Amino acid sequence: MNRLALRLAALAVLAVLVAAAPARGLEADELRKVVETLDDRQRNSGDWKALCFMEAKERGKTDTVYELLVYRRDLDDKQLFLFTKPKSEAGKGYLRIEKNLWSYDPSTGRWERRTERERIGGTDTRRDDLSEPRLAEDYEARWVGDEKLGRFDVHHLALTVKPGVDVSYPVRHLWVDKETLNILKRQDFALSGKLMRTSYTPKWRKIYSESKKGDVWYPEEMRFFDEIEKGNSTLILIQEIDLRGLDPNIFTKAWLESKSR
Amino acid sequence: MLANDLLLAGRNLLRHTRRTVILASALAAVTALLVLLMSLTNGIERAMMESATTLMTGHVNVGGFYKVTSGSAVPLVADYQKVLADTRAEVPEVEYVVARGRGYTKVVSEAASMDLVLTGVDIEDEPKFPEVIVPLAGRLQDLQQPGTILVFQNQAERLKVKVGDTLTLSAPTSRGVNNTADVRVVVIARNIGVLSMFYGFIEQGTLWELYGLSPGSTGAIHLFLKDQDASSAVAARLRAKLAARWEVMDPDSDPYWKKMMFKVPAENWTGQKLDVTIWKDELGDFEPIMRGVRVLAAILITILMLVVIVGIINTLVIAIRERTREIGTLRAIGMQRTKVLWLFVLEMGLLGLLGTVGGAIIGGAVGLGLNALGIQVSDSMQMLLVQERLTFVLDFPQIVDYVLQLTGVVVLASLYPAFRAARLKPVTAMHHIG
Repeated sequence: MNRLALRLAALAVLAVLVAAAPARGLEADELRKVVETLDDRQRNSGDWKALCFMEAKERGKTDTVYELLVYRRDLDDKQLFLFTKPKSEAGKGYLRIEKNLWSYDPSTGRWERRTERERIGGTDTRRDDLSEPRLAEDYEARWVGDEKLGRFDVHHLALTVKPGVDVSYPVRHLWVDKETLNILKRQDFALSGKLMRTSYTPKWRKIYSESKKGDVWYPEEMRFFDEIEKGNSTLILIQEIDLRGLDPNIFTKAWLESKSR
Repeated sequence: MLANDLLLAGRNLLRHTRRTVILASALAAVTALLVLLMSLTNGIERAMMESATTLMTGHVNVGGFYKVTSGSAVPLVADYQKVLADTRAEVPEVEYVVARGRGYTKVVSEAASMDLVLTGVDIEDEPKFPEVIVPLAGRLQDLQQPGTILVFQNQAERLKVKVGDTLTLSAPTSRGVNNTADVRVVVIARNIGVLSMFYGFIEQGTLWELYGLSPGSTGAIHLFLKDQDASSAVAARLRAKLAARWEVMDPDSDPYWKKMMFKVPAENWTGQKLDVTIWKDELGDFEPIMRGVRVLAAILITILMLVVIVGIINTLVIAIRERTREIGTLRAIGMQRTKVLWLFVLEMGLLGLLGTVGGAIIGGAVGLGLNALGIQVSDSMQMLLVQERLTFVLDFPQIVDYVLQLTGVVVLASLYPAFRAARLKPVTAMHHIG
């Protein structure tokens, strides 16, 4: 009787200890693998064309909706944005070749060299929001904790930029769905440590890529909330993905100019 | 002799009182308008100079750009103490020198946001600052404290902030990384023309922190000369001298922010280049505005002159017709043709002088009166007039010049009718019925 009581007491103590122990964090290898997977899931390694809708809300201003085509050739690190709507923006665009970004305005016929981290169309969207992610290459990751985000169980990760690498945001926090490894929430911080932007990517889709010989994941919907100017936000919808090979001429100034003639 | 002629001319003017009053009034009105137009243009120019040399430029500037990559451009002079030493050595005629940081940022308050051209200042090194910047709230000395900002009245109204409130500045660093700085409003200053719509001042160190720069760098070295007119010559000399030790950009009359946004990022180089400019370059689009105002003034003056000439010729032709018998009598008693001509010219000269002097006095008085009233200029008009309150700057030598010019025009206009009068034959003139 005494032995049984002793065993029960020992089991009870063990149960309490197990329950009280902190959740096990992601080990360094596991963490690296998670971040690499986040990159790999969205990597296409071929060409990419998408129809995007961008709705920008600014405090005290009328909402603006843009329609644009995004072309990517990740192998050569080239990207082109062509605005098609509204009429006043049609023909405008951006061309990026490696680290160089130019913007084009058909009303003046002028090309202007811009910073690579330019706000697209003056919204809260950055060029790298619509590019292949390079999280593992640019950032050091740290596991913050496992949390609940709505009904999802998520890993909360903190990414800090590696020394000597230039990025838009030196610190980023990610909330990654444990089950699917979809990034559900992201917070971007300024160099000063101030929170600048929170974004949500609730809908993810996959498409088979011939060049990758596997699935490419993409967020169908992205919602950016400006944390500095409260009330400003941008919604991006990505539709009509086409992973077939693109004409090399697309990634030229002449091609973008020809679209507004 | 001249005294007699003047007396005669004066009596003639007095005899034809109505005509004299009408002509003199017309001349006075034209002169008053010219004086007002000139003093308003002077007011605009002075306000522009005052704003420019306080807010954005010295008489000569040594600025420059640093490019981390060929597609970027940061307006700064790295290791500026060495550049400053070279500059001081080359420009002995300098009155004082200030180094200011340059930047462009989004300013966000609880209620609103706006873009501002930011200038980083060390208020202790700015001798003219307190002469031009008038604090409506707060103390200028507080701008020495880190994390502080000076905004102008219209900016404070737009952002809905008062002294002590916090603003968030958001801008990318020189390497393109997003950064922010929370700053406290320590001074709300009285507006200085249109430039105060988009210029703000921040403590120098805070600006460096925002842009991730080292304290050894600055945005530009502003040189204030004893003689502002020497700016172009000094800039050319300085540019040539600095080029021997530093990479210096070719002369370009665009302001620095235009070069930063359009020209420099498109150029294929990296590293540091210096840029020597003068105050007129930094004024950018304001110089064409001033030129436009001057052209407009010149057109108005020309139209007014034409009206005056036509009016005088017409009036004199009528006057001579009325006085044909009188001219005939004068000629009959032996007055020479040249004398008749001289008397008419003198009469008109006297009339011109009276009218223009009267007009100049009236114009000057109206200008001074309007200055005293301090008429507020609407926001849209501030863009054109470059001043918050209507200011008329009276330039005495210029007024004398206008008086003499207009009198000269009157005299010239009177020559043709005077010739006609002098050519009349005494007999014909005496028989004239008119």
